Amino acid sequence: MIYQEKKINPIKILPTIGEAEVEMKLVQLQQAVALRNCKVVKELTEGLVKEEVDLFKILNHGLIPGMLENSERFRRGEFFIPELLMSSRALKIGLNILRPLIQERKRGVLGRIVIGTVKFDLHDIGKNLVIILLEGNGFEIIDLGVDVPPEKFIKAVEKNGAQILAMSSLLTSTMSWMRSTIELLHASGMDGLVKTMVGGAPVTPIFAKNIGADAYCREATSAPAMAKRILGIREDEHTSFTK
Amino acid sequence: MKTPLFKKSHDLKLLVLACAVMEKEIRQCQNGRVEFKFFDYGLHRTPENMSKAIQVEIDRVNEEEYDGIILGYGLCSNGIVGVHSHRHRLIVPRAHDCITLFLGSPESYKSQSVKHPGTYYLTPGWIEKGETPLSKYGSYAKSYGEETARWVLHEEMKHYTRIAVIDTGVYPLEPYQKIAIQNAKFLGISYEELKGSPYFFKELVAGPWEKDFLIIEKGYSIQQDMFFDL
Repeated sequence: MIYQEKKINPIKILPTIGEAEVEMKLVQLQQAVALRNCKVVKELTEGLVKEEVDLFKILNHGLIPGMLENSERFRRGEFFIPELLMSSRALKIGLNILRPLIQERKRGVLGRIVIGTVKFDLHDIGKNLVIILLEGNGFEIIDLGVDVPPEKFIKAVEKNGAQILAMSSLLTSTMSWMRSTIELLHASGMDGLVKTMVGGAPVTPIFAKNIGADAYCREATSAPAMAKRILGIREDEHTSFTK
Repeated sequence: MKTPLFKKSHDLKLLVLACAVMEKEIRQCQNGRVEFKFFDYGLHRTPENMSKAIQVEIDRVNEEEYDGIILGYGLCSNGIVGVHSHRHRLIVPRAHDCITLFLGSPESYKSQSVKHPGTYYLTPGWIEKGETPLSKYGSYAKSYGEETARWVLHEEMKHYTRIAVIDTGVYPLEPYQKIAIQNAKFLGISYEELKGSPYFFKELVAGPWEKDFLIIEKGYSIQQDMFFDL
């Protein structure tokens, strides 16, 4: 076990708003992220927290689906970088409200993740979105930035006792550095202790499998669920209970 | 002796499907044996749409019309992955993207990206299409206001350290130099000029498509791993 759950007060205060209203607000929250409206995201998230709605629901039925919608629109060419960045910013506002609450409910971290963009690649919009999402879900992140050589990844994993090594790349000319990094991890003898996760526009599931990665993320929004899965953590852990 | 790629050397008729960003450079190499069709440069942003657009065009071509189809594209973020032809042999340059084609060799692209990974490459074609940081800023500001535009551009460009203009020898460089320098100043990063090469464009049109090209036989499709050793 990576952490111990805090004891929860057994007296449950019933939500003051009904289920239907909660569902409606979650849909509104989803739309607010999709429409990149920071103010509304803040108001709705705070409101839902105040009403003691399950944090897992706020995350996975509100904030994340809104972001996923925009990521898909970006993939289809309906949205461009400004829209993607602006929705990440709105998402971050919501997640920043949830993060301290999630942290309050646990003693350790969900897991420690070393993350970076691979060598000779300087693109970090996707990686930064993944960080926002993982932190929002209760992971501790060690961000190595961009243009990260394999040795630096391995050293950081070792130094921080990370459970996951996550890599991103935006270029077909740099994605092979993921393979080099995983090979170095194997050579260092730490591969049994550390799981690897890869993603980025040119990365495919076949490539991820061929280089021996433990998980492939098609889009940033799937990163938290994948990270939990490879660490054997229940999907709703730490977020599924109210105050 | 090597078997030639095409049995007949006379009356060989080829179709070039290429990105509009290199239209001038490719047209310059016209030898009367090829026909061209250029696609919107914006396809590079949505790789899934790029392969679909190219595939539709390939599927439209009759067997007797041409002896082969040449793609004026690099791997372009997987934008040509899956592309295939049942009726023609496909000829594809082995390059990650058009920057290799403009520079003239995978080696020169590699050496540039090792020395300066944070390079924003510009060519006259790219500048004409409005794909410069300054014109992006302008269009962001138009949609979202200056403050947001500045923030977006900063997020997008913060790791870039150099603007490099590739002189492809087809355009008079001066007006493009000016624009590129303005962009470098705007971002506060360095500016450099790189000498381009017509090698890939000449070879695309006239062959013999040897070491830097992939020959995809009928019924086979282009795969990502065909480019991995570059």
